[in-house]
Amino acid sequence: MQGGSSGIGYGLKYQARCISDVKADTDHTSFITGTLSLREENEVHLIRLSSGGTELICEGLFSHPNEIWDLSSCPFDQRIFSTVFSTGESYGAAIWQIPELYGQLNSPQLERIASLDAHVGKINCVLWWPSGRHDKLISIDDENLFLWSLDCSKKAAQVQSKESSGMLHYLSGGAWDPHDVNAVAATCESSVQFWDLRTMKKTSAIERAHIRNANYDMKKKHILVTAEDESGIHIWDLRKPKIPVKELPGHTHWTWAVTCNPEYDGLILSAGTDSTVNLWLAPISAGDEPNSEGIAESPTQQADPLLNSYSDYEDSVYGLAWSSREPWIFASLSYDGRVVVESIKPFLSRK
Amino acid sequence: MGTDDVPLDDKAKRMRDLLSSFYSPDPSSTPNAPSKYGILDAINTSSFDPDQYMNLLVQKSNLEALLQRHVEMAAEIKNLDTDLQMLVYENYNKFISATDAIKRMKSNIIGMEGNMQQLLDKIMSVQSRSDGVNTSLFEKREHIEKLHRTRNLLRKVQFIYDLPARLGRCIKSEAYADAVKFYTGAMPIFKVYGDSSFQDCKRASEEAVAIIVKNLQGKLFSDSESIQARAEAAVLLKQLDFPVDSLQAKLLEKLEQSLGDLRLKTDEIENVSLESNDTSKLGKVSDSIPTTAHEASVREFAEAIRAYRVIFPDSERQLITLAEDLVIKHFEMTKQYIKRRISSANLLGVLRTIWADVLLMDEVLCEAVLPDFSLEAAKDAVKLYVARTFTYLLQDISDALLKVNVKPKEAAEEHPLQVALEASKKAVLQGSMDVLLDFRQLLDDDLGLLVKLRDFIIDWVQEGFQDFFRALDDHFLLLSGRKNLSSQDHGLTEGVHVEKVLAGLVLVLAQLSVFIEQTAIPRITEEIAASFSGGGARGYENGPAFVPGEICRIFRSAGEKLLHHYINMRTQKVSTLLRKRFTTPNWVKHKEPREVHMFVDLFLQESKAIGCEVNQILPQGHLRKHRRSDSNGSTTSSRSNPLRDDKMSRSNTQRARSQLLETHLAKLFKQKVEIFTKVEHTQESVITTTVKLCLKSLQEFVRLQTFNRSGFQQIQLDIQFLRTPLKESVEDEAAIDFLLDEVIVAASERCLDPIPLEPPILDRLIQAKLVKSKEPNPITP
Repeated sequence: MQGGSSGIGYGLKYQARCISDVKADTDHTSFITGTLSLREENEVHLIRLSSGGTELICEGLFSHPNEIWDLSSCPFDQRIFSTVFSTGESYGAAIWQIPELYGQLNSPQLERIASLDAHVGKINCVLWWPSGRHDKLISIDDENLFLWSLDCSKKAAQVQSKESSGMLHYLSGGAWDPHDVNAVAATCESSVQFWDLRTMKKTSAIERAHIRNANYDMKKKHILVTAEDESGIHIWDLRKPKIPVKELPGHTHWTWAVTCNPEYDGLILSAGTDSTVNLWLAPISAGDEPNSEGIAESPTQQADPLLNSYSDYEDSVYGLAWSSREPWIFASLSYDGRVVVESIKPFLSRK
Repeated sequence: MGTDDVPLDDKAKRMRDLLSSFYSPDPSSTPNAPSKYGILDAINTSSFDPDQYMNLLVQKSNLEALLQRHVEMAAEIKNLDTDLQMLVYENYNKFISATDAIKRMKSNIIGMEGNMQQLLDKIMSVQSRSDGVNTSLFEKREHIEKLHRTRNLLRKVQFIYDLPARLGRCIKSEAYADAVKFYTGAMPIFKVYGDSSFQDCKRASEEAVAIIVKNLQGKLFSDSESIQARAEAAVLLKQLDFPVDSLQAKLLEKLEQSLGDLRLKTDEIENVSLESNDTSKLGKVSDSIPTTAHEASVREFAEAIRAYRVIFPDSERQLITLAEDLVIKHFEMTKQYIKRRISSANLLGVLRTIWADVLLMDEVLCEAVLPDFSLEAAKDAVKLYVARTFTYLLQDISDALLKVNVKPKEAAEEHPLQVALEASKKAVLQGSMDVLLDFRQLLDDDLGLLVKLRDFIIDWVQEGFQDFFRALDDHFLLLSGRKNLSSQDHGLTEGVHVEKVLAGLVLVLAQLSVFIEQTAIPRITEEIAASFSGGGARGYENGPAFVPGEICRIFRSAGEKLLHHYINMRTQKVSTLLRKRFTTPNWVKHKEPREVHMFVDLFLQESKAIGCEVNQILPQGHLRKHRRSDSNGSTTSSRSNPLRDDKMSRSNTQRARSQLLETHLAKLFKQKVEIFTKVEHTQESVITTTVKLCLKSLQEFVRLQTFNRSGFQQIQLDIQFLRTPLKESVEDEAAIDFLLDEVIVAASERCLDPIPLEPPILDRLIQAKLVKSKEPNPITP
């Protein structure tokens, strides 16, 4: 098979869509993932990369009541994570805590800290502020954006504010600006909307159809990367929302997910329904400040931004996560439930 | 010989030394370095020591040598004696003759005193006589001189009084040169006495001179006079202190005016060029025929310049500027002319005319180096022409392409894309050939101007093609709408901004790129190699300006990009269709399937439209079912499920429970089917790729939904219906089958209660749909 199987594999029992880096776990490189099975009993797997980096160990296996459509780990407490789940007919979202003594129990139960139960429609995602401790949560469903106030100790979450996206704007996902605790980007059918959480108002938008996924650059302010079904990956400077700073060709079929490396500038990972994960190098140079747009464009387009294409997958890849502890490691999850952890170290030298 | 010489020299030397010592007043001055010589040589020195000599000789020599020495010495002594005698005798002789001379001198000097006295007396008497003559003649001479002066004065007065009449006569006989001579001769007198004694005379002659000046001016300005006469007139005027500079300026002005008349009239040139073209066709006698008004006037101008130069010899600078001015104006006109669309025959005509003018002027004004000057100007003009030509070519191609947009799918034209492709192909190839032919004319012409520019032209043409194809590539991207987003500089092609790009146009562009890469470039390269090789004015280290390899590469990648873009545009359309289909209904509460959903019709219609477009333009590829070898890097594979039919028939909930595991297992054993293969420029490849991508999208959309049993069955029905028509139109049946199956699997996976439709019902519904679509008024127009 092409690309070589340099990655470390781990099999889930069922199909799965989402994987998240356990950011708060500073001692180990861990990921958390949940299955998506309509008719089986779903599971949440806590996976840890062995200290040698050669093996993926299942650190915890918990049953989850419904199939998981979205999962993200709390950035400041490694035992807390959120899921969005569906019974098939209705959706729910909840904050879970891994029981303390899970290592000793055989099939331990997850502890539900809070239910984000104000939603009516299809819930898309739950967002934690990626940069640190913050007692707010955002959840996005088809039509609304909710800001929750979470109190872990009291095990309660309350809707702090809520705003509808407006008529005919079906939201599909979002990203919380790591540089600004009050800024959130929400993707919808025809644009990316930017919200200010203090006023709960839309501040601006990028008009662009069919954006599937958006991700903020952890290092640089104002940089947002979006993935689109047919037209690949675009890098935007939010101060110039008309024209993307850069375009990457994306995948043969849809580009499902993009994520910026938390440490290395310009490294972008994208996952596609053509069963590949692509590693891109597209640094936004300092020259891309407002004045000199487009000048640096042509030369950078000459060099192939695609560093590597990992094609060791059997099905579409939906889940993608960088490890924040070891930022040269990422985990990917294909629909058939296979977790592959790869190291990009060989490509770092080319930077 | 050498051995003989040495003793001889020795001997002579000794003799000389002896003699010198004899005559020498001071013996000490003789070289006294006897010790340095061999002791035997010391015999000639003053410090000779006979005893020592003897001792040495006796010691050194044997008896024989001593004897020989003895003989030698005896002979030497004899010789010396003879010489001595001779010298004494000679000295004596000389002494005697000296005494004789002194005696004679004494006797001669005695009679001289008396003679000298006599001489003195005679000289004295001669002097007194001549003084007498002088004094007697003095008075008469004085008188004569006075008379002579008076006569001269009178003659001058007479001349001055006669001057007006004389000038009048001269005017009558047009002997201006004499008149001027007279007048200038009288000038000093007029200057001194003009105000008193000769007032009338002066006035009269000045009047006459005024007439002369007028006449001279008239002569100078009249073109009918011979140049010689005019030059003379100018010289005379100058002698009369007339301000010639102003005259010169005036004349120059006149020349400049005539320059204005010399303006190239492009219509005229066109006529000329047409004429010459015709004549050249007839037999190359063009040079003699177009003696048009223009040429005549230029000839006149040249004559005027020649005259002017003779008249005012110091006026070169002005004339040069004037001539350069003319050339500059000519080339400005040419540039104006080039801005209109002209053929190189026309350009040639213009250049020929200009060159003729330049040569004419060069004859009379070679200092201006007009040929070089005009060469520079012509360089610009020709360069501009080459650039313009390529611009027009680009424009032509663009026009040909945009015709697709202008009349999208007119009923009259059955194959609009094909027509557009053929037209644009022709525009590219024929246009390029025409351009080359056009340039060939420039090269083949033997006009001196162009011959010198040949290397430059070759380079420009090569560069021109290089730039042209780059620009064409850019233009393609722009036309295809791919550049709209990222590029901000639409400077060159404003107004071509196409808001909604037709997919068909993109396909035409893709195919045109391939054509350019595979046919046009080789042809053009050949043509260039045949007639535009060489050049090299831009330095060899840069290599030739036209790099077909690079252009081919550009267009190969452009072709691929555009094809991908086409497929993308097409699949995007289908995606929108599918998105609507899957996001609108509530799949969990779907009702029993009654008929095949109409999105299938739309989908098939869309793929038919693609097929229609593709079949017009793309070549047919050879049929291949599986292509593993040429799959590119991003291709991937999945395994289809062999147990599907089995599963379908025996479906029950229990079976569905373990179906995932089954699928996985099956995938492991099933032969891999490649979904994303490399796209080729063939009908089948494009259609297959498009359909594959659409089906993959369909699968992804299905995966995002949750179905109830009826929803699942609806999908099953729709997919089943799609199977036959898609397989008919698509090359890679296995992949299509696989993808269709995948859609059903995905639906069943996402189904709460995956019980498929019974095959008989499935068949019945499909048949019903088929019947419906065969009705006279089907959904597809």
